[in-house]
Amino acid sequence: MISSLHRILIIARNTLTEAVRQKVLNVLLIFGLVLICSSVTVSQLATPDIDAAGLFSEQIKFVKDFGCGAIGLFGFFIALLSTALLIPQELDKRTIYTILAKPVRRAEFLLGKFVGVVLLLALSVALMSLAFAATLYWQESVGLAAVEANYAQMDLKHTPTAQSMHDHDAAQIIKQVRDPQLVEAVLLIFAKIVMTAAIGLLISTFATSWIFTIITTFMIYLIGHGESLARTFWLSHGAETTIWQSGLIGLIALLIPDMNSFTIVDEILAGNRVPWHDVLNLLCYANVYVIVLLAVSVVIFDYREI
Amino acid sequence: METSTVAAPPLAVETIGLTKRYPLTWKRKVLVALDGLNLQVKQGEVFGLLGPNGSGKSTTLKLLLGLIVATEGEARVFGLPPESLEARRRVGFLPENPYFYAFLNGDETLRFYGKLCGVTGDKLDKRIEELIDLVGLQNGRERPLRSYSKGMLQRIGLAQALIHDPDLLFLDEPTAGVDPLGSAQIRDLILKLKKMGKTVVFSSHLLEQVQEVADRVAIFSLGKKVLEGSLESLLTENQSTQVLIPAEMNPEQQERLRKFIGQTGVNESEIRFTRPHLSLEQLYLRTVQAQPDFVSKDSPRP
Ligand SMILES: Nc1ncnc2c1ncn2[C@@H]1O[C@H](COP(=O)(O)OP(=O)(O)O)[C@@H](O)[C@H]1O
Ligand SMILES: [Mg+2]
Repeated sequence: MISSLHRILIIARNTLTEAVRQKVLNVLLIFGLVLICSSVTVSQLATPDIDAAGLFSEQIKFVKDFGCGAIGLFGFFIALLSTALLIPQELDKRTIYTILAKPVRRAEFLLGKFVGVVLLLALSVALMSLAFAATLYWQESVGLAAVEANYAQMDLKHTPTAQSMHDHDAAQIIKQVRDPQLVEAVLLIFAKIVMTAAIGLLISTFATSWIFTIITTFMIYLIGHGESLARTFWLSHGAETTIWQSGLIGLIALLIPDMNSFTIVDEILAGNRVPWHDVLNLLCYANVYVIVLLAVSVVIFDYREI
Repeated sequence: METSTVAAPPLAVETIGLTKRYPLTWKRKVLVALDGLNLQVKQGEVFGLLGPNGSGKSTTLKLLLGLIVATEGEARVFGLPPESLEARRRVGFLPENPYFYAFLNGDETLRFYGKLCGVTGDKLDKRIEELIDLVGLQNGRERPLRSYSKGMLQRIGLAQALIHDPDLLFLDEPTAGVDPLGSAQIRDLILKLKKMGKTVVFSSHLLEQVQEVADRVAIFSLGKKVLEGSLESLLTENQSTQVLIPAEMNPEQQERLRKFIGQTGVNESEIRFTRPHLSLEQLYLRTVQAQPDFVSKDSPRP
């Protein structure tokens, strides 16, 4: 048991090393980091000229949307690329023979590879989140500086109203930037990316080409977003659903993860309160889903002719 | 006949009717890669699998490693099913045209495979030093495998196959694509392993090399074993005897010797005198190794 875990970790580490020493992923990640940092400048161009407080609130919202969007998008690309190539590369170059000729189970090999990808994704998301945090901090100082400048220009600067307006604006900016709920958002984005990776892994255990894996994973991802909408639509016409239709809906729900529930990230970004309880529920759902996908992958991979 | 109460040590390799078929879906046919192989290799033997390309040598080795599943028949390694971890703990494998992780250097490669086999700490460090020495890869320790020559890949492959000190080695075409010097070194290494009591099963289509190391060989053709036996018995011409005299002989000396042998009852007119020949390989090795500035292995040239 211990040695089994040990072997999984050794393979995971090797997978991570491979990814880190690979140019494509590095370029992708650097691109993501630059993009996130650039959002401060873009936010100033993109927001219309309105009154100060509203302006900063808009800009901060923009930086948040942009940052979380970039983390999700680049994480998604990295997950898709790295899992789709994970098994085919090993088979093509026959490095898999050198590993499976050692006292290593096939399941250990596959799980090791997946854990390696998850580590890579964690590393990427962590780096991008750091860039995101730095960017937010930057946006905050830009905002606060503007508030100060604004205040300095005021004629009635020492009146209590001006003072309290200034304090209020500054507090507003700080509150909006340092929103602890952003941690929830990043966790949810990470969970979604890991789910995508698990879907990719499952498909690559039987796919014969990595292009097929990428396309299919992408489709499932899209269907996963539309799924709950379709379900609501169908169920709202409850009377008309035949047993076949509900069976089909059930089957799709079983096979395709409900990606749409992750849109609560948008709620967080809009500044609405999302209780930790909901977030944890969703994380649990992702976790169970990934475990089921991994179990199926292991079974399929055991039967695969290498 | 003595009926020993002690069980005989299990065979290193045993196969019974081992068969592998590949379905060719697009032709609605099957390809018989290996057809009913019965094979027994005793512990401590060096066994050569011979045969043209596509005759089933690699298929046999992959079946014996549990990398592929037999369509029919059975294989045992030290009496264990090949896919079991216990069997694979005692087995080392050098694949055909080996390819490892190009982004790792020599040391990292050995460390990775060593850890996978449960070798760790000081023991692993020591083992890596030993193996680097054994296969002569001092100059490859820090270089990524991406930059290795074919011969160096073959050598790092041998080193990783030996990392956990296995009792049985499967080497698939260990000398393919290696220059004569390198392949002589691999041959010496196989002999060294034999001295250490290891069992070696290797495949090759280069016959001279097999002849110099194998105790027994099997010849394959189209997935079938067509001949098997000890080299001794397969290659001896029982109808003649050779005497080697390490000196030049003039015609008069030859005549006297002919008479002398004639006294033992051998027909004098059938005795021939010839000079033994070096094989081209022996000549090559002697010449290359005699160079004063000869540097072994793939060391970079100034
Ligand atoms: N995965 C596979 N699918 C289909 N045919 C295969 C596969 N692997 C090997 N073969 C076929 O099996 C036969 C034996 O191959 P192999 O054992 O590699 O021969 P060799 O003696 O050269 O090592 C060949 O005809 C080869 O084409
Ligand atoms: Mg072969």
